[in-house]
Amino acid sequence: MSNQVGIDVGGTYTDAVYIQDGYIQHTAKVPTHSENIVETVLEAFEKLKIIDENSIDQINVSTTLVTNAILQERIPPVKLLLFSGKGMSVDALPWPVHYLELSGEMDFRGREIEPPDQREWQELQLSEQGENPIHVAIVGKFSHRNCLHEQQLAAYLKKLNPTWRIALGHEWGQANFYRRSLTTYLNLGVSDLYQQFARQLQTAVAARNIKAPIFILKADGGILPLAKIRPIDSIYSGPAASVLAALTQNEPTDSSIIVDIGGTTTDIGLVLSGVPLFGSKGAQIGPFATLVRSLAVRSIPVGGDSVVRATDQGFSLESYRVGPAYCLGGTEPTPTDAMRYLGLIDYGNEQLAEAGLASILPPNRRTPEFLHKLAGAILDTMVDRIAAAVDSLKREWQEEPAYKVWEVLHPHEDQAFRTLVSGGGARGVSKALGKRLRTPVQLGYYSEISNALGAAMARPTFDCTLHLDTYMKRYRVEETGEQGKWTGSLRPYQEVDKFLDSLVQQQAAHYEFQTEDIEKEPFDFFPIVQGYKTVGQIVRGAAHQRPGVIGRVHV
Amino acid sequence: MYETDRNFVFPAFDWSLGDSHPEREERLLYTQEQLFEEGILDLPQIKQFSPRLASIREALRAQALFPTPGMHTDSLDAHLIAAGSAILLGEAQVRGDIANGFVLVRPPGHHSGATVWGNRGFCSINNEAVLVNHLRAHLGIKKIAIVDTDVHHGDGTQDIFYHDPNVLFISLHQDGRTLYPGSGFVNEKGGPNAWGQTINIPLPPGTGDEGYHYVLENWVLPRIQAFAPDLIINSAGQDNHFTDPLAAMNLTADGYGRITELLQPDLAVLEGGYSIEGALPYVNLAILLALAGEDYHHVREPQKLDRPVLDLATLKPYIEGLKKQQQTLKPNFTIQNKAFFPKGNWIYSPHSVYYDTEGFQENRHDYIRQCSHCAGTVYIESQRAPFPQKSILIRIPFQACSECEQAGYDLWDHLIHQSEDTASGLLQNQLHDKLSVWQRKEGLKEF
Repeated sequence: MSNQVGIDVGGTYTDAVYIQDGYIQHTAKVPTHSENIVETVLEAFEKLKIIDENSIDQINVSTTLVTNAILQERIPPVKLLLFSGKGMSVDALPWPVHYLELSGEMDFRGREIEPPDQREWQELQLSEQGENPIHVAIVGKFSHRNCLHEQQLAAYLKKLNPTWRIALGHEWGQANFYRRSLTTYLNLGVSDLYQQFARQLQTAVAARNIKAPIFILKADGGILPLAKIRPIDSIYSGPAASVLAALTQNEPTDSSIIVDIGGTTTDIGLVLSGVPLFGSKGAQIGPFATLVRSLAVRSIPVGGDSVVRATDQGFSLESYRVGPAYCLGGTEPTPTDAMRYLGLIDYGNEQLAEAGLASILPPNRRTPEFLHKLAGAILDTMVDRIAAAVDSLKREWQEEPAYKVWEVLHPHEDQAFRTLVSGGGARGVSKALGKRLRTPVQLGYYSEISNALGAAMARPTFDCTLHLDTYMKRYRVEETGEQGKWTGSLRPYQEVDKFLDSLVQQQAAHYEFQTEDIEKEPFDFFPIVQGYKTVGQIVRGAAHQRPGVIGRVHV
Repeated sequence: MYETDRNFVFPAFDWSLGDSHPEREERLLYTQEQLFEEGILDLPQIKQFSPRLASIREALRAQALFPTPGMHTDSLDAHLIAAGSAILLGEAQVRGDIANGFVLVRPPGHHSGATVWGNRGFCSINNEAVLVNHLRAHLGIKKIAIVDTDVHHGDGTQDIFYHDPNVLFISLHQDGRTLYPGSGFVNEKGGPNAWGQTINIPLPPGTGDEGYHYVLENWVLPRIQAFAPDLIINSAGQDNHFTDPLAAMNLTADGYGRITELLQPDLAVLEGGYSIEGALPYVNLAILLALAGEDYHHVREPQKLDRPVLDLATLKPYIEGLKKQQQTLKPNFTIQNKAFFPKGNWIYSPHSVYYDTEGFQENRHDYIRQCSHCAGTVYIESQRAPFPQKSILIRIPFQACSECEQAGYDLWDHLIHQSEDTASGLLQNQLHDKLSVWQRKEGLKEF
């Protein structure tokens, strides 16, 4: 094992943890100075009190910086140019940004249907705005099969002005023109902001004379070197980190339901035989649908501080928080008061908890019997909402579309789950949750710094999805957008396996990490037939290094 | 919960009838690429379902698997997934979970008939028929219209519902004198208890969008309206497209979108269509968009239609003549009662079915009990040439009258105890949803 530092730069607080050979040595929590990340990180290191900072092997950082910039609409304008071709009307889908459609069309095999019209290019109005260089995102339908048009237009624009910042859609090599467009747009839009953050991090680490490399946590729960990550991949690393934190306290092959109960929201994730469940589509951030691969996590608006309000039928559990629980000096009764009253937690004032709950009951029913019943019912309501979200996550997993006969004949089978609960209200609901979900329940530790903990213990993730068309003699890699010429045979078998291996090694070298337990999917071979003769094959295959943690953490 | 959802499913990428067979893995690959690239799953009203497997029982409710179901099961998985997916979306539609659905599956099914000895016309299980009988048995659906817009005559579907007055079957196809399976003429109009409930509209090669839409608007739609079905199913074959290698019609992707818009099917079920690059990605997209209520006019296949299309002025008189001929045709049935037949008049109709995939012939002797109260019990003797042994299907229809039900059981009893030249049989009691398979060597088995 090794010496890891995990830092979570949140909007309000920055958390940090130092782990030595799987043992947590120190934790720290400092306010985030969003205008001065250098100072924030330095403060965090100061508080971590690491005796020998030279012995740090690795620093892993997760941040909400990019997420917040997008949600708060703090990204500079990007000019979006589309080779949208025929098909579904582009405006059938909601576009949160402006775009311009240009002529030029490819088909699903990457064959040119219609070349671009250079006269349209000459009429493009790309005027500078202020001092910022112009940002242009160019995305073509089926550009993940053939990037020719994107490259042609980029070359044309570069000639007009070499300082313009240009991003091409095919670098996001998955299908979905709409999401590819928005992903390319966002990644370019947040790149300046991210570069600045990266520089600040490096400055802070250098100021303390630490030589350890810095890695950034991604939405898929994996880390990549600071300089190699695509900025947009850093969104939603918070929920991913909390799932990873749970993994550090779990048997490596367990299937578990991860429940993290906060004051206002509860995050729920699913781990299947040690591997976190991925969302079936790319991440949605604000109005943007993206191709960013992220863990399937549900956030529901219920937490320890959710307000409980009296109604004609009894009570209702609201989805908002007004302040702390009544028993902690707040003005409204909450599930935390119910937990306190039932003696499930030991913080907060017992009399206040009782008074808060009593305010929900009519005066003639403010007896221990009714109070007890009410407290139980509040917790049951909370647990029901959590359970509904767990069910919806499980459904997402079980209803993943199957495409092959084999897959349909071997559906996802129900597994034996255990539940890992962390967060403020964890102890209070663990019993009720176990009963409702019918699983054993285990309490998670260090929930106040779980994002930093998860980041610290994360390992690199890696996906390499190959699409090879031996008749067109072209291959593509989804994750990197790499497109190249295939010189192998028309019907490759072992050859394609070796080819995928070499792509994996290249990619690993680029990301500067050692490949370990790479998992390969079986190849799909589609014979291409013309006039009853097989003329080639489309081959699909993939290799993955799934998200996970480098080891368990001991309390 | 999903008031406005449209759904589709997408299975069987690892199944083919042979390496270079038209019904192969590649067939829906480009459709998948097109739909995913368009971002069709990001339309809020569209969801993709995971397919499910139909049971043998669900298949037997519509079709007899001869000589016994057990002798089929090894090769039926892909077919049962296609049929199961049809059931999945059909149930969702009837329950109101979805507004409509596109069962985007392969293999197809509409050449597979009431008795099945093997694969024919790429079909082994009739997806629509299995679906229709499931909905009638379990979800209280009574009247169903099936409009088959595949370029080939939907002979299997016709065979299964030929005697069923509660299923209106309309097949539009390229004239059987010019194309497989060589049937589907206007005189095929339904059995004695369901006369006029089968409508065949053979169209001349070269018919295009305009002619096709004319037939729909002036013949098919009024007929459906008069029938007032609970559910409309479109057997959506895509081989009318002008690029199809097996047929000679001239429809475009846009034309298919319009067909869908005109028919407003509750469910579309993919049938044939073998122009897998030039047509399928675009036709499937147009159909799906039309089902979703989206604009499909922007969908355009790359290849231009540059062969002559039959113009409407030429086609119109032909269609009107055909329609008149069809509507004025009078029934002409032969009564032939066998000695052991229960009382009543039994209409006899012999025919043979050719199984092109494996190259053998099935000889059929169908008898239908004429009945003014219900659809009438059906007795079918079937024999796979050149083998002498017969297999028998006895069908007691949905909403059978008591006499017809009794007649069915009398025939079943005779089959098991007295018929010596019979190897196996199936009793489809649709009235009580009971299915029994009998085999001389192994006896009776309830499904």
